[in-house]
Amino acid sequence: MRPLGKAASDDDRPLIERVRRGDQDAARTLYERYFDRIYNYVYARLGRVEDAEDLAIDTMTRSLTRLDLFHEQGVAFSSWVYRIAHNATIDHYRRHGKVRLVPLEYATLPPSPDPSELAVEQLSNEDLRAALRDLTDEQQQVLILRFFQDLTAAQAADIMGKSVGAVQALQHRALDSLERALQGRTNP
Amino acid sequence: MSEVERLERLAERLRAVDSVMASPGAKIRGWNLVLAAVEQSATVRSRTHSVRRLVLAAVAAAVLLVAGAVAASADSLPDSALYPLKGVLENVRGALAFSPSDQFAYHLDLAQTRLTEAQAMIARHRLDLASRALTGLDEQLDDAALVVRAEKQSDPVLGASLENRLSQAIAVHDQQLAGLQGQVTNPAAVRAITEARDRAAHALQVADNPASSTGHAKSSDSPSGDGKGQGTSSPRPAANR
Repeated sequence: MRPLGKAASDDDRPLIERVRRGDQDAARTLYERYFDRIYNYVYARLGRVEDAEDLAIDTMTRSLTRLDLFHEQGVAFSSWVYRIAHNATIDHYRRHGKVRLVPLEYATLPPSPDPSELAVEQLSNEDLRAALRDLTDEQQQVLILRFFQDLTAAQAADIMGKSVGAVQALQHRALDSLERALQGRTNP
Repeated sequence: MSEVERLERLAERLRAVDSVMASPGAKIRGWNLVLAAVEQSATVRSRTHSVRRLVLAAVAAAVLLVAGAVAASADSLPDSALYPLKGVLENVRGALAFSPSDQFAYHLDLAQTRLTEAQAMIARHRLDLASRALTGLDEQLDDAALVVRAEKQSDPVLGASLENRLSQAIAVHDQQLAGLQGQVTNPAAVRAITEARDRAAHALQVADNPASSTGHAKSSDSPSGDGKGQGTSSPRPAANR
């Protein structure tokens, strides 16, 4: 996936103004720019194609029809879209009885016999995705944004409403938790 | 292998995970839904803007209407529907005249206005309205005379100056009334003008004599009938013509 640089956010501004005036071409450009990213983000969180499609469409619809609210947020359009996607994901969990809003300090981590034994290169993508979904909500979010979406720590911080330092610390803990989760899967 | 190295290796492995793309069908379905929502949103916004524009236009029209009526009333005559509004504006103007000089100028200005109205009403054969306008003329001259009298006591220099101006104004008005009197043949009109000239001459006596009173009752039909006049029913000497 092409990295979402700062330039993309700057490019969004004139498009957003055009969408506000009812310009469908501008709406199509923003849709093409963000749909795949949002689908990828939501799929990584939910793991179900049908749900991911519905939530990605819902996120893009809200993003492009509630631009009056976007102006009040004071963040980049990309951050706003990711926040909508995140909230949609949380709503989805609530509706389907799978709420995972466990603070990090209370997160249950599987035991690890010897972390160095984990053969990372041999793990399948699906193993990684499945183990990721065992993490807390924030841990999933930071790893998906930083490594699946290829965003910088600053961009992830803007989306999550945290400082860059907090995001870096969260990322470190999330990787540690993921490693343990993978060991729990490969050494039951 | 250190913890940092292990986690960096894991991070690299996460970066290598393939992106999952939505099916083309889902993307097209999504765009159709988004497009419909964007169009609906634009329609609602446009409708809201239209209503807002309509309200603004109505407010602007109302403001223009009121402003136009106010402007038109300034030149209205006693037989006009806007004439009462003229009286309101004159009273507002009088309330804003604070210094004796301003009050004096205000009364002289209104006296001239009443005289103009009287001339117009006589020309239109509205003797009732002309008579009221002439009464209003005398009321304004009397009020100006009261200002002069008060100033002569508190500031004799200013009082003398105002008295001189009042005298000149009354002389001018008398000339105009005399001219008007020569143009009419109706006995009632002639009588009304004669009485007005008499009362105008009396105003100078009011200014001169501290014991003298204005001798008129404020006409309720005058647009600026604000009740400032201290009227009694003392007789007035006839003007010396």
